[in-house]
Amino acid sequence: MKTLLVLAWRNLWRKKKRTLITVSSVMFAAILTIALMSIVSGMKQQMIESIVSNTTGHIQIQDVLYDDEPSIDYALELSPEVMQLLEQHENCIAYTVPRIQNFCLASKDIGTRGVLVTGIKPEKENKMNNVSSRITQGRMFNDNDNYAVVAEGVANQLELELGDTIVLLGNGFQGMIAASKYKVGGIVRFPMPEQNNSMVYLPLAEAQWLFAAPDRVTNLIIMAEEHVDIDMLSADLQSSLDDEWFTVYTWEELLPDAIAAFEVRNAQVKMMAWILYAVVGFGILGTIITMVFERMKEFGILLSIGLKRIKLAAICMLETLLMSFLGVLAGIAIGYPLMYSLYKNPIPLKDDLADVMIDMGIEPVFAFSVAPEIFLQQGLTVFFIAVAIGLYPVVKVLRLDMVKASRK
Amino acid sequence: MKTVIETKNLVKVYNGGVAPVKAVNNVNIKFNEGEFTAIVGPSGSGKTTFLNLIGGLDKPTDGEIFIENVDISKLKERKLFDFRLKNIGFVFQSYNLIPVLTAKENVSFIMLLQKMKSNEMNKRAEELLQAVGLGDKMDVRPSKLSGGQQQRVAVARALASKPKFILADEPTANLDTQSALNLLDIMARLNKEENITLLFSTHDQRVIDRARRVVTLIDGAVSEDVNK
Ligand SMILES: Nc1ncnc2c1ncn2[C@@H]1O[C@H](COP(=O)(O)OP(=O)(O)OP(=O)(O)O)[C@@H](O)[C@H]1O
Ligand SMILES: [Mg+2]
Repeated sequence: MKTLLVLAWRNLWRKKKRTLITVSSVMFAAILTIALMSIVSGMKQQMIESIVSNTTGHIQIQDVLYDDEPSIDYALELSPEVMQLLEQHENCIAYTVPRIQNFCLASKDIGTRGVLVTGIKPEKENKMNNVSSRITQGRMFNDNDNYAVVAEGVANQLELELGDTIVLLGNGFQGMIAASKYKVGGIVRFPMPEQNNSMVYLPLAEAQWLFAAPDRVTNLIIMAEEHVDIDMLSADLQSSLDDEWFTVYTWEELLPDAIAAFEVRNAQVKMMAWILYAVVGFGILGTIITMVFERMKEFGILLSIGLKRIKLAAICMLETLLMSFLGVLAGIAIGYPLMYSLYKNPIPLKDDLADVMIDMGIEPVFAFSVAPEIFLQQGLTVFFIAVAIGLYPVVKVLRLDMVKASRK
Repeated sequence: MKTVIETKNLVKVYNGGVAPVKAVNNVNIKFNEGEFTAIVGPSGSGKTTFLNLIGGLDKPTDGEIFIENVDISKLKERKLFDFRLKNIGFVFQSYNLIPVLTAKENVSFIMLLQKMKSNEMNKRAEELLQAVGLGDKMDVRPSKLSGGQQQRVAVARALASKPKFILADEPTANLDTQSALNLLDIMARLNKEENITLLFSTHDQRVIDRARRVVTLIDGAVSEDVNK
C-alpha cells in the first residue's frame, strides 16, 4: 500500500504542469461553488432573519381557527396551562412576544380608513424587531400608557399629528363592540408599504380592554434560542397542547409563498452549480484521458513485469484521489478566508434589487454565509465528481490488453 | 540437461487485418537450463509474438507451452500473473523502467511485489546493480541514465526475482553499438556465472555472435536452429 501511494505521489509530479492545472481546476470549482452556495445561503439567511423578525417570528401559537379566519373571536387565552408549557421549554425559547390584532376603522374628523390595530408589549416587540427605532416623531408607549402609535402612512392619510385624537371602531371579542378614542403619541415609519399604511399600535393591556378580551392574544410569537431546531420545538409544543384548541406554526408554515420563492431560487442556483461541476468535470476528464493515453505503454509494461491489474488501478485511483483532495483542500483553504471576509464586510448592493430589499426591511448587501456545511458539502461534491472521473483510468487499466499496450 | 521451456505445435493467429496472419506457425522447440539463445528473423517473422507466448503475456491460438512442467497456456489470468512474477524476467525494447523510481527502486520493485523482506531486498538490488556495472547509479532516476544503462537496470530487475529464465525482446534495438555489445556481454556473463537461462530476440547482426544458440524464424516457423 505504501509503495502504491509513493508511486502515485511521484507520478503526480512527473508532469508538474498538468497536475497543477488539474489541481487548480478542482480548486477553482470548489471555490466557485462554495462562493455560490455561500451567497445563496447567506441571502436566504438574511431574508429569513428579516422576515422572521419583521413579521412572523420563529413560531406562533394560535387558536385552531384563527389561521383560516383571522378574527378576534379566535383570540386564544394565555391560560396557566400555556404559560407553564412555555416555562418548561425555557432553555429553547429566547422570549415570547404576545400580540392581539384586529382590523378596525380609524377616523379623525371626517376621514376614515381601515387599520390593523395591534396590541403589543413594547419591550418584547423591541427585542424582536426594534420597532421603537422606527419612530420618527413622538415616542413609543410603555405598558401602562394609553396612547396610540400610528404608522406614517396612516397618519398621512388621516392628516394626523402628534397630540391629535383618533377614534377606533370595530368588533370586540365574541360580538362585543370595540370603540374608543386615543391620543396619537408617536409616529412610526415602516419600509414595507403594507405595514406603513395600516399599522396602529396600542399597549397590549389597552388593546385587550378595547377588544374586551382580557388575557387573550391572537398570536403568541415565540423566538427560539440560537441553534434550536425550529421544527422540533414546534412539534414538541404542539404535542403538549390540546390540538382541539391550539395550533403551533413555524414561520415556514405561516409563509408558504416565501418558501416557494426560496425553493425556485435554490433550484436555479443548483442548476448553475451543476453546470459549473460539469464544465470542470469535463476539463479534468480531458486531462485524465490524455494521461491514460500517454501512459498506455507504461501500463502494459508494468502489468507484464508482474504488477497486478488491481494494484495498477489502485495507483491510478490514488493519483486522482490525491489530486482532487489537494484541489478541494486548497479550495477550502482559500474559499474559507475569502467567504469569511465577505461575510464580515458584505458587498453593498446598488441597483433595483437594493430598493426592493430596503422596502422589505432587508439590509441591501450581498450577504455571505460561512456555515461549515457549505464547505463540507461543496468540498465533498467536487471531490466525488473528481473521483467519479478517476474511475475512467481504473476501468481502462482493468480492461487493458497488455500485449497491445506494450507494443505501441 | 533440464528442459526449462518446451512448446508443442504452438500456433498464434491474428485476425486483425484483411486476412488472418499466422504469426507463430506450428513451433516445436525446447530450451534447456543455462542456454543463451538468440531468436532472429526478419521483421514480422513472429519473434515478439513467440516471446510473448512463452512469457505468458499472450495466449496461443493452439498448442501447448510448458515451463518446467506447467502448461501455462492453460493457466487463468490470476495464476498466470503470479507465475510470471515468480518465474519469468522481462526486458523490453524500450520504456522498460518505471520513470518515477530510482534504479535501485526499479530493481527492488519486483521483489517488493513478491513481498520480500526489505533488508534482503536492498542487499540483492545493490548486488544486481553492481553486477551490471551500475553500482554508482543506484539512486538515479531512469531519465538521467543512458539507454544502455537503462537496459542494464532492466536486466538487473529481470534477475531480481530469481526467475527460471529471462526474455528480452530486442533489448539492443535502441542502443548504439558499444552499449549494445556491453549489454550482451553482461548478459553473457550472467548466463555463464549464474547459469541463468536467457532468450533474446534481435535482428541486430552485431550481437547475434554473443549467443550460443541461434534460432531463426521465418513467417512464424523455425527455419534454422544452430548450436555453437
Ligand atoms: N496485435 C496484432 N494484431 C494483428 N496482427 C499482429 C499483431 N501483432 C503482430 N501481428 C502480426 O504478426 C506478425 C508477427 O509480428 P511480430 O511482432 O511478432 O514480428 P517480429 O518478428 O517481432 O517483428 P519485428 O522484428 O518488426 O519486431 C506480423 O505480421 C504482425 O503484423
Ligand atoms: Mg518484434
